[in-house]
Formats: sequence, C-alpha cells, structure tokens
Amino acid sequence: MKNVKKWFAIIVFLLPGLLLFIGILIAPIAVSAYRSLFDWDGFTEGTFIWFKNYKELFTSKSIMFGNALKNSLILAFFSVFVQLPIALGLALLLGRKIKGEKFFLSIFFMPVLISTVVIGQLWLKIYNPDYGLINQLLDLLHLENLKHVWVAEVEPIGIFKNVPFLKNIPIALGSIIVPTIWQYVGYHMLLMYAGVKGVSTDLREAAMLDGATAGQIDRYIVIPTIKPIIRVSVIFAVTGSLKTYDLVRILTNGGPFQKTQVPSTLLEDMLFLRNRYGMGSTISVMLILLCFAFALVITAVFRERDK
Amino acid sequence: MKKTDTKAVIKQESVTEKAPKPVAQVFIWIFLIFWTLLNLFPIYFMFTFSLKSNAEIFGENIIGLPKEWLWSNYSTAMNTGKMWLYFLNSILVTVAAIAISIMAGMMATYAITRIKWKMSKLTNAFFMLGLTIPIQASIVPVYVILSKASKVPGLNMIFGLNRYTTLIIPYAAFSLSMAILICTGFMTEIPFDLDEAATIDGCGFFRTFFKIILPLMKPAVSTVGIYSFLQCWNEFMFANVFISDSVHRTLPVGIKELSGQHTTNWGPIGAALVIATFPTLIAYLFLSKKIQASFIAGAVKG
Amino acid sequence: MKMKRLFGALMAGALALSMVACTGNGGTTTPATTEEKKPETTVEATTETTEPAETVEETTEPAETTSDQISLSMWCIATESDSNRASYEKAIAEMAENHPEINFTWEAFENQSYKTKIKAAVQANELPDIFFTWSCAFLGDFVAADKVYCLDEVYENYKDELPEVMLGNTTYNGKHYGVPLTMNIVGLFANMDLLAQVGYDEIPGTYDEFIECCDALKAAGIIPFGCAGKETWCVTEYLESVIEKSIGADALNDVFVNGATWNNQGIADAVDTFQGLVNNGYFDPSGVGLTNDEVKNNFIAGKYAFYMNGTWNCADFAKEEGLNVKVSEFPVINADQAKLGQLIGGPSDTLAVAASSPNAAVAADYAMELGKLICHYGYLDGCGLPAWTPYGDTSEINPLTQAVAEICANADTYVLFGDTAMSADDANTYLSYVDLVYGCQVDGKGFIEGLSSDIR
Repeated sequence: MKNVKKWFAIIVFLLPGLLLFIGILIAPIAVSAYRSLFDWDGFTEGTFIWFKNYKELFTSKSIMFGNALKNSLILAFFSVFVQLPIALGLALLLGRKIKGEKFFLSIFFMPVLISTVVIGQLWLKIYNPDYGLINQLLDLLHLENLKHVWVAEVEPIGIFKNVPFLKNIPIALGSIIVPTIWQYVGYHMLLMYAGVKGVSTDLREAAMLDGATAGQIDRYIVIPTIKPIIRVSVIFAVTGSLKTYDLVRILTNGGPFQKTQVPSTLLEDMLFLRNRYGMGSTISVMLILLCFAFALVITAVFRERDK
Repeated sequence: MKKTDTKAVIKQESVTEKAPKPVAQVFIWIFLIFWTLLNLFPIYFMFTFSLKSNAEIFGENIIGLPKEWLWSNYSTAMNTGKMWLYFLNSILVTVAAIAISIMAGMMATYAITRIKWKMSKLTNAFFMLGLTIPIQASIVPVYVILSKASKVPGLNMIFGLNRYTTLIIPYAAFSLSMAILICTGFMTEIPFDLDEAATIDGCGFFRTFFKIILPLMKPAVSTVGIYSFLQCWNEFMFANVFISDSVHRTLPVGIKELSGQHTTNWGPIGAALVIATFPTLIAYLFLSKKIQASFIAGAVKG
Repeated sequence: MKMKRLFGALMAGALALSMVACTGNGGTTTPATTEEKKPETTVEATTETTEPAETVEETTEPAETTSDQISLSMWCIATESDSNRASYEKAIAEMAENHPEINFTWEAFENQSYKTKIKAAVQANELPDIFFTWSCAFLGDFVAADKVYCLDEVYENYKDELPEVMLGNTTYNGKHYGVPLTMNIVGLFANMDLLAQVGYDEIPGTYDEFIECCDALKAAGIIPFGCAGKETWCVTEYLESVIEKSIGADALNDVFVNGATWNNQGIADAVDTFQGLVNNGYFDPSGVGLTNDEVKNNFIAGKYAFYMNGTWNCADFAKEEGLNVKVSEFPVINADQAKLGQLIGGPSDTLAVAASSPNAAVAADYAMELGKLICHYGYLDGCGLPAWTPYGDTSEINPLTQAVAEICANADTYVLFGDTAMSADDANTYLSYVDLVYGCQVDGKGFIEGLSSDIR
C-alpha cells in the first residue's frame, strides 16, 4: 500500500519534467540517431545505408570533421588552461575582501549578458585589416610586419611555433579563441568566487595566525575546497567549447578554406546549406556522444585526483 | 599575449600579497582597472555604434563618439515591424519558460532526491544528458512534433505552431537539465529530518513538497532564473523556424528584420541591440547583489 | 535582508504573473482555434492562416467580405529594411483592390535565416500557400520532393506578358514551377572619378585596355578591385565572369547545369587568368578578411576603382551623392570562344506555390498576378530588371539601372550564378574551391581536378 503511494508520487512528480524532456529533447535525438543511418536530403524518401555516414564523416576530405573537432578541442584546451586560470585568479583576488569587490564582480560579469552579435561586431572592428584597432596600434608602434588580416589567415601563430600540440593553430582560429575566452571569463569567475566565499573565515584566520601568506592560503586551503566547483567549470568549459557556434559564424564563418569550422557550424551547414540531412544527423549524434564522454572523463579525472 | 601577461600578474599577486607591498598593490589595481575597462568597452561600443551611420561604422570612425548623433536610428529600429510587441513577446516567453522549467525541475528534483527508490540516480543522469544536446540538431524533429500537434484537435489549443507555447515549451525543456542540476544542490541541503517530521504529522509526499520543501527553495528560483534567462533571451534558431506570424515573433528574430537582402543599415541594428540589452543590464545592476548571490548559490550547490 | 525578501517577493510575483500570462494566452488563442475549425477553411491551412483578429498590420483585408472568402498566406524576404519592400507593398495593395474575395496575409523574414526556415518548413510540410524561393537548384529540390504546385495551366493566361525564356530557371522536366520576379546580372561597376585620375573617361572596352587601366591605377596607388573574401559568392561574381568571357557562355552553362565535366582546360586557364589578377596585386589584400557590407562601403567611400557585383546595387549607388559610377559588362578575354552579350545572372528571385495548399489553383493565379506587379514596381524602384515585359513609364528609373537594361537588351546568353545553378551540396563544394582559388591555395589545374573528382 505504502509502495503504491510512493510510486504514484514518484510518477506524478517526474511526469512534467519527463514529458518535456522526452518530448522535446530525447525524441528528436532518437529521430536524429535513426536518420543518421540514411542518405537523405530532408525532403524525399532517402536510402538506408547503415553506418556509411559515420564512415564518410571520418574519412571524407571535403567534410573535414576531424579538423572541426580538433578546432573545438583546441578551444577547449585554451578554455581550461587559460580562461579558467584567469577566472580563478580573479575569483581569488576578489575573494580577499578587496575594495570595490562587488563593483568589480558586477562589471566582470557583464560581457556574459551582452548579445554575441554585439560582441562579434565589436571584435570584427578590432580585427579589421584596414582600420581595426590591432593593426592601427601596430602601425603606431612601427611593428608593421606583425600586421595581419586576422580573421582570414591560415598561417600558424608565430609564438606557438615550437609548442608541439599548438604549433598548427591558424591565425584565424586564434582570432576566434581570444574573444570566446574573454567573454566567458566572468561566467566562470562568478562560479568560482562563490566557492571562494564559501570557505569559512575561521579557517582563513587560523591559517593567517600560523603565518601563512595569502598565496599559501589560496593554494592549500581555498583551491582544494572549491574543487567540486572547478570540476563543474571544467565540464561547462569543455562541453561549451564543443558546442561553440555564434562567434565562429560571425567572425570567420568557418573560413578561410573551412579551416575554422567547428562541429556546430558544420552540422548546420549539412542540415540547411548542403541539404544533407542524414550527414547532419550523424554529426549531431557524434557531438552528443562526445560531450557525454568528456563529461564522464572529467568526472573520473577529478575522482582519481581526490584519491 | 595579453592573456599570458595577466596570468603572470595574478600569480605574482597571489604569492606576494601577504605583506602588502605597495608595488604589488599597484599591480593589482592596474590589472583590475585594465580588466574593468576591457569589460566596459563593449557597452560603450554598442551605445555609440547605435548612433552612427554606415559610413562611420565602416571605417570613418569606428570607436570614437559619433560625429553626428543619429537618434533617428532608434526610431527606425522601433518603427520597424512591431518591435515593442517583439520585446513584450520575448519577456513573456522567457519568463513563462523559466517558470515552467523551475516548477518541473523542482518536482523532478524532489522525486529524485527526497524519495528513496532504486532508479533515482539513473534518472538524474538521464536528465543530465540534456546538457550535451546541441540546439541545431533538434530543430527539424521538434518542428515535426509541433506541426503534428497543431493538427490534433484539442491539443492544438495549447500546443502547436505560432503560439506563445510553441517557444515556451521547448525553451523550458532545454532549461530543464540545468534547473535540475541546480535544484539538486539546493534540495540536498535541506535537512531530511523535516520530511520525517512531516510524515509523522501525517503529511503525504504532496503536502510535504508544497508546504515544506517548496517554501525553502526560494533562493533556487532566482538562480535557475538567471541560467535559464541566459539561455532563452537571445535564442534565435527555434524562434526563427517555429514562429511564422509576426504577432508571436520574439526580439532576436525581430532585430534581423532590420537587415535587407543586399543592403544593411547597421545603425538601427545597433539601436535595436541596445534596446534588447540595456534593460537586462540595468536590471542586472539593480539586482546584481541578489543575482550574484543566487548565481553563486547555484554554483556552490551545483 | 530586506532586499532579499523583496526580491523573493518580486520573483514570486513574476512567477505568478507568468502563470497567469500563460493561461491568458491559452484563453486568447481559443477563439481563434475554434474559428479555424469552421467548415469553410480547411484544416491543413489553419496553421498558417493567422487569426483574423491578430493580423492587424500585415493584412490587406478589404472592407467588403463575401461568404466565399479564401485565405492565402505568403512568406517572403522583403523585410522592412529590404530594398524590395516598397514594391511588395504597392503590389500587394493593388492585389487587395483587385481581389476582395481573397484574404491575403504575408510575412517577411531575413534573407539568411529564411533559407533555414523554408527548408525546415518543407521538411515538416508546413509551407504557406505562396512562398519566395530562389530558382534552379534551390526550388528544384522542393520540386523533386513533390512539394511544389505546377503552374503550367495558369501560365497559359499570362503567356503574352511573361516570355517563356524567363522561365528557364524554374522549369523542371518540361514543367513550370515558379513565377519569376526581378532579375539581376553581374555588373562591372566603376568609380569614374578614380578612372579619370589615370586618364580614362569610359570603362575600357577590351581586355587589354582593361589590364592597362588596372596597371595605371595600381601605379597611381589606387586599388583596382574590392572583393569580399569572407563571402565566397562575392568571389564568384568575379571568377564566373572571367571564366565566361574566356570559354564562352554555352560551355560554362554545360558545366553548371547540364552535367558536363569540370575537367576542362579552358576553365583551368581562366582560373589561372583570374589568379593572375590576384597575384598582380589588382585586388585589395585586405579583402580576404572583409564582408560584402564592408567592401561595398569601401567602394562607396572611393577606395576601389572597380567593384563587380550584382546589379541590385544600382539603386544604392545611384542614391549616393558625389559618387560617379558607371556600369558595364566584363570585357571579352578570348574572342574565339566568348563575346559581349554573354552575361552572368538571370531571374533568380521567384514565387512558388505549395502543393499542399488547399487552394493551390487560386494561389497559383494569385502568385502570377502578384509576381507581375512586384516585378513592375521593383523595376520602377531600380531594384533589378524585369523578368516580365515592362509596361508604364520607365523614364524615371535611375540611370544605372537603365544602363543595365540596355546591356540586357543586347544580351545573347545568360548563365545563372553557379551557386544557384548547382544543387546545394555541389554548390557548397564549388564555393569551397572558389575560396581556395581566391586564397591562391590551388591553381586552375587543381581547381578542375578537385571539382571533377568531388562533384558528381
């Protein structure tokens, strides 16, 4: 009797969520998974071709999915190893009861609230080859040889020339990475600031009395305490990078020569530009699998470290 | 290059902060002010952009104050289509989607965290799958579902194409995973003794939820609200495809009306973007303390 | 603390409000839906035919309504900021007067997002009665999927006003599926003030003179060409003209439309010619990183001597005071195979009727008449050239459009823009190779070899 009541309650409580979730998210993905097995333009009948789309995705030279994936992984790399440290640094700094703490916190979060269209237009002006801020600044400093057509060059970035993983990043990709990282520093900073503020003041004061420097407190007390938040941030940063879309569309539109495509833009091109609905579905299935896999791996890595 | 610099600065700070050396202090402040300017600049840029002509935007004067303050850009923006209506539609759709995702999210979270059953962990993981789904992938399947629904008598009164619910329901669904993630954090913080006491008093699951748990979840409301707001307010893809009558159009699609096939006047687009963004910014500044507190709450709990 | 409570109350209020708003919305839509179920409108049409009470601005509903009202809906890309908007408005107003029995509603969407929208609508079977589309492959995909209503019957009534040659791009398997609106070609726009600085008062007529002119411009520190590398279609405006004037219109058309092989030495040579222009420094080196909006503004600002682009720009250039522009066609490169009068372009903007429309026959007739009017007013506004036989007083049209009209009057063959002519997948493969050519990543040989292996 009690069990019946319990299950009734469970079902009722879960029902609205499940209906929404299955109807709007899971069912379409199931459809996509099914459609990924077809050679289909979206309008006509389509032919069932088993896993040929998947095979083509990884072997075709003209689709360049591998390159798109690599681009989003590079972005994820910078997001985790540049953006998050900056965010953490800011969070720790503001967590020390600095003057104007709340003011800075508000300002640093603002770019997150501004539409990506505006951010994109702004950076287009910064990158413009003729009157853009960067090139004008370089002119002013008489560094003309450093000038570039930023969003349209495939040459590798000079300063990374001798770094193994990074030596082939085209300048155009770099020009996407910088604003993307900049825009969401505030997002992660606020997440981490929360954690920093959550560290009990007693603990801090005790450490201070023991003669610990602020740096040591951050290093040995604060950072270990906010580890769960850093984990959430890392997951968001990586899955977010895999799903990047807006700024790529505005700044380079995947060009030059498709070198800055990311999975989301490729997916949209397939679905609505090239009329290859089957292949588009394949990409979306791969994207979901990858995001999920990375989330699992990150969780596992953090668990391993805790041990 | 800029990035590495700043990183170096921070590191230096964290090591030398204890004995407040004036040099270090100066560095901290220079850096904070520099970063502040970097973050305020887009707002200044957006505002001046909205008052310029194409000639100024494209080359003549890209970051200076407008030579001629074209307030007419604003009237152009507002008189194109039904911008006010789009603005109200956006508010309505966003608020409703947030409300639904909060309600559904809280109920689901309650079933997952506070009722003991075997599959609860798995159900939670299932909901988390939603964080990974790219919105582009679901456009056509969702469109087909909506289109089918709008041909079913009865159902089409609340659900189908070209209604507010056309957007509200998908938006709520896409915000749901985040809502559950956040609510789980909050709800596990509430002591379980409360439930037991309620059960002893003869409360069932439903009364416990509505009378005891829900009132304690108030902070979660604003936290989920912010995350969902970020997701819904600028959403373009669904709004473009699912809404075909201008009466239910939302702001991001409305702003696009300002560009033509071969010629685009960017000033009014800037004005429209200001109109779309500034209310958010102002609301954010006024409520920033509270919003940050709840954003933070979401982080800690999440 | 107080603040916190206040905010809580606010949020709760917002929550409650939204609930009310939600149900309120449900309430207001109810009458509309019941109305939709009335017998005179068929069920399929209901989703698009918007509720009469709510279509305030966009409806051109006549005062007198009869009991046999037919509802028709249309989607197009004539947003309020589009240069075609005025001609649509005038045409629709005139149609409303002529057809009080039709309750016509229309919605305009932004160009780029419309492409996504219309494809999704076809996939979900949610097309309106009449829709704007691009000719050739874009419409062809919909026709192949049986989503478009055949216009052969209706066309019989309009034969005299619409020359059949204008229907070439919308004819599939011998059947007509589209109503052409205005047409456009690629024009060579020249800033005459800049040309005057190097001693030219006309656009050079032969290719050799043209190159001399470019050299003179370059020597004078003036950039001859502006071309937006970030939007590959802009590169095709140049490249296709060069190819056409090298190998001739028929050969190019065979490759674009009739499935002839890309493996054509003539094309490779033409591509090398084009790349020669790029390598000679005739193109703005910044162009690869610019959008068309930026390049067009540079041309207006006097940064480039020449700008090759669609003739839809005529009205905009004519409007700029102090800008002295002339337009002509690209000179012939190889006189053995090509000649003047072979142009790139043709009718692309098209109206089509959905096969799913419950009143398809009425819609077809309506679309024809509407198309004729849009074409008429569009021509008068200088938005493009008429696909329909023009009528009325055309002397007020801006001089640039008139110059283009003259070029077209002497035209011999049109080859449609390659990315419109080819099927969606091929077109994008083609565009990515054009991109590589402009970036000098492949030469003519690589171009034809790559395309002949990657297309078809």
